[in-house]
Amino acid sequence: MSFDFERVETRELVKMYGVTRALAGVDATFSAGNVTVIEGPNGSGKSTLLHILSQEVRPTGGEVRYGDRRVRRGRLRAQIGVLAHQPMLYPDLTGKENLALFGELYEIDDLDSRIDGLRQRFQVGRYADRPARTWSRGQLQRVALARALLGRPRLLLLDEPSTGLDTQSVDLLSRAIMDERARGAIVILVTHDRAFAEAVGDNTLQLHRGEVLSEAQAIEGVS
Amino acid sequence: MAWLIALKDLRVEWRTREIIFTTGLFGVLVIIISSLSFYLSRDLSSRLAPGVIWVAIAFCGVLSMSRSWARERENDAVRGLLLSPIPRPSIFLGKWLSGMFLLLAIEAFLVPLVAFFFHLDLTPVWGRLSLVILMGSAGFLAAGTLFSALSVRSRARDLMLSVVIFPLIAPALLSAVVATREIFAGAPLEETLEWLRVLAAFDIIFLAGGYLLFEPLMSE
Repeated sequence: MSFDFERVETRELVKMYGVTRALAGVDATFSAGNVTVIEGPNGSGKSTLLHILSQEVRPTGGEVRYGDRRVRRGRLRAQIGVLAHQPMLYPDLTGKENLALFGELYEIDDLDSRIDGLRQRFQVGRYADRPARTWSRGQLQRVALARALLGRPRLLLLDEPSTGLDTQSVDLLSRAIMDERARGAIVILVTHDRAFAEAVGDNTLQLHRGEVLSEAQAIEGVS
Repeated sequence: MAWLIALKDLRVEWRTREIIFTTGLFGVLVIIISSLSFYLSRDLSSRLAPGVIWVAIAFCGVLSMSRSWARERENDAVRGLLLSPIPRPSIFLGKWLSGMFLLLAIEAFLVPLVAFFFHLDLTPVWGRLSLVILMGSAGFLAAGTLFSALSVRSRARDLMLSVVIFPLIAPALLSAVVATREIFAGAPLEETLEWLRVLAAFDIIFLAGGYLLFEPLMSE
């Protein structure tokens, strides 16, 4: 049975790595059709927050609510798409093979047409018929974006997605984020690229040493 | 879902042939060096061969697991698997299945090679020997797959794998060596069965343990 939600809430979220406190009671709300940019210096807990939201790691304390229900793992992960600096693609598989593998893991019904549609949308050219090992950084990130969006996720988590990309690829990424926001996705972006954040973000959440400094400040000129 | 992951591994291996060639070559080297160093006479060869077989299998197994998980580290591909909605134990099973297929393929080449260099006739023992090798490899790979997965994000991954895996699998490995020795010595089926029961117990423990522990251990 599919599960959907229009809001993600964290309550008193704490994450400890040994004696290191990565998150120290983070309360935040992320809504559908909204792009939230998480800001903060290195080590402020931005990526840790994304790892918990993506169900990759368990919080030490507190909870994450997806909609009105407290859900963990399983089918919920089908509703989450993640794009990070690393493309999470197998270097010895072609683009189609990579997308087909992840599509089957996500049990997508119309997989072939979905892959064709995403390839067209993100201008994934003939290079994707070669193993991923031979692609440029920009080419890798386009296919990685297609992989992240294969399952039409409700929650899209982006961790430094624009690092090392050329202008054309950043524009394509920006358009994709706008499209996902228009579709009603909850988009959470971690980036140090101020211009990129201002171009796509609706509001910001500032973290410092694992704590929220300021929440949901609208980015000027956008919201 | 485990099959999807296993097939992905086999497709990558078919394309690169990296594990089969590097690991197989290493196994051949172990066998040739052992035969040159230890071979004294036909009488003694049946006592030496079990050790040579299992030393070759153990090292080839660790090498192939290490390489298989190194592929998961490239581009952080394993994170893609962990983020997908499949039950995480399926990842363990898939990696174990592909590891078994590759190790059995290597063993199918190495064991006859040991027989050739140590002048052994495998015809009367091949059935029981295959069973021991299958069961010994299954438990060994189950434990190895779990610890390879755990070490995938550790800097001392190769060291950790070797240091942790050998003491852990020692009882299973020793049982397999003794069972193989009994087979070559012409022991009755009942005596071999006792060791097969021990191997079966290790297989169940390692496979069930890996299946059950994979999710909680990979969630941190």
